[in-house]
Amino acid sequence: MEPRRRRSPLSPVWGRPEHEKVVTGCQEKIQHWKKVESDYEALQERLQTLPDKLSYDIMVPFGPLAFMPGKLVHTNEITVLLGDNWFSKCSAKQAIELVEHRKKHVRKALDDLQKVMKNFESRAEFTEDLQKMSDAAGEYVDIREEIDDDSIETKGKYRTAHRPHSKPKASNVFEVDFPANGSDTKSMGRFQSEEELWARLEELERQEEILGELDRMPDAVEANGEDATSSEEEKDKETDVNGTCGAGDCITQGNFHNEVANSDLFVGQLNGSAYYHSDDEDDRGAGDNAVPTIFFSHTVEPKRVRINTGKNTTLKFSEKKEEAKRKRKNSSGNGHPTPELPNIKTPADIYRVFVDVVNGEYVPRKSILKSRSRENSVCSDTSENSAAEFDDRRGVQRSISCDEATQSDTSEGILEEEEEEQQQLPKKLPPSSGTAEAFSGTVIEKEPLSPSLIPHPVLAHPVLPTILERKSEELLSDAPEEPIKRISKFKAARMQQTQ
Amino acid sequence: QVPGYTKGEQKSVLFASNKKHSVPSIKEQKVVVDELSNLKKNRKVYKQQPNSNIFFLADRTETLSECKNTLDELKKAHQELENSEKAKIKK
Repeated sequence: MEPRRRRSPLSPVWGRPEHEKVVTGCQEKIQHWKKVESDYEALQERLQTLPDKLSYDIMVPFGPLAFMPGKLVHTNEITVLLGDNWFSKCSAKQAIELVEHRKKHVRKALDDLQKVMKNFESRAEFTEDLQKMSDAAGEYVDIREEIDDDSIETKGKYRTAHRPHSKPKASNVFEVDFPANGSDTKSMGRFQSEEELWARLEELERQEEILGELDRMPDAVEANGEDATSSEEEKDKETDVNGTCGAGDCITQGNFHNEVANSDLFVGQLNGSAYYHSDDEDDRGAGDNAVPTIFFSHTVEPKRVRINTGKNTTLKFSEKKEEAKRKRKNSSGNGHPTPELPNIKTPADIYRVFVDVVNGEYVPRKSILKSRSRENSVCSDTSENSAAEFDDRRGVQRSISCDEATQSDTSEGILEEEEEEQQQLPKKLPPSSGTAEAFSGTVIEKEPLSPSLIPHPVLAHPVLPTILERKSEELLSDAPEEPIKRISKFKAARMQQTQ
Repeated sequence: QVPGYTKGEQKSVLFASNKKHSVPSIKEQKVVVDELSNLKKNRKVYKQQPNSNIFFLADRTETLSECKNTLDELKKAHQELENSEKAKIKK
């Protein structure tokens, strides 16, 4: 009692009320058990004296309110409740033993309750003491660990966007190329022969240049020579980048490299970020010719993929580019526009240029949009690709597989023609060409060349061929061809072949 | 009031149960003693078996003496309690 009194006036501590509850509960139970014990004691007492007499006069309860006088006769005959309404008949002595047994149990319960009560009392005291201590002295310090927000942010910090030259794109390239290769394999043999063919053509071209058959300026030749060397570098780079490409791809790749050798300057500039260093070299080499350099970077590198998908169409495009480059060079050297080529002054002209010539007839390309979309999507291979582009490509792949079936049909016939034409050295240039105005010194990313762009740049930089956007390559490659006066026979042949 | 044979029997019951609550039990005990002492000699006195409803016939004089003894004990206990409390207050 006393300790509780001491505690009661104190301010409440957390946990203490619970302890108090337990203690009071224990006390109640103890009380109950004590009463039971006392009852048993009374019973025991009664039982001890009950058999002393033969009979007892008693008042027998008759309901809760009434009593009847009676006699207790069987004083030594007691029925004991065992539990669950089962009784056993026994003598008073046995009953006393039973009562004793039950009293033991009751005492045990009492002891347990006492222990529990003490335990909780001590706990209550402890919490009380704790509060006293915390109230009294500042010995106890709050220890906290604060989490810096930085640690959470670090996760995001290390995320960086892919750089334009970063390798992971190679995997993308591979992904895209693989299915294309499958379709390529069937035409492998032809390509091999083609490759040789192109190599031969190139050689001849070079010889032409060296002999001055094209009336080139000496510096132009020089530039070409350097181009050849730089093109080698480019080849290496390309192979590096394309390292992941399949075997079938490599064959086409070789073909492609030949073209690159011819059109390296053009390509280098066109490729922009992908071949930036080689660009520099080219430009330096051309710097002797006072060729202004335009640096730019863009995300487009269509060439590779086109070759992968490609066969005829790809060859066509790259050829045209090459041609355009050559022509531009010539024009820069000589300054005469080629009279044969149509001037592009209106969009309509561009369209005309853009048309394919099949058997001397203009056949508008059915899938201009398709092919271009393919280019666009494809372009993202070497350059940065956004997720959207990637998706695009996938979609394109599907369409490509369809395209190829049709393309291969037409292309075979054309290829046969090519062989013949090669001997004839056809003079007719493809209609695809543009005026000097058609290309500009400015590069616009991912926008087809618009007529508005046409007027300015060439005049500003007459020496250097314009740098064109990959995306609009199809258009552009056609357009810049105009200013070129002379062209190698072999080139011309190629161009016709492509058509 | 249980049937009118005796009054003392009920008092005794109260006495047994309220042993610890000194003040009321002392009062009751006083009443019981009073009643028992005022009973006619031919009256029967029954004593209830604790925790049951049976009343055993008891001797009147014996019951009276028992009740007096318990009353004395109760008074003593009460006295002790009061003394201890007073001592505490003084401290």
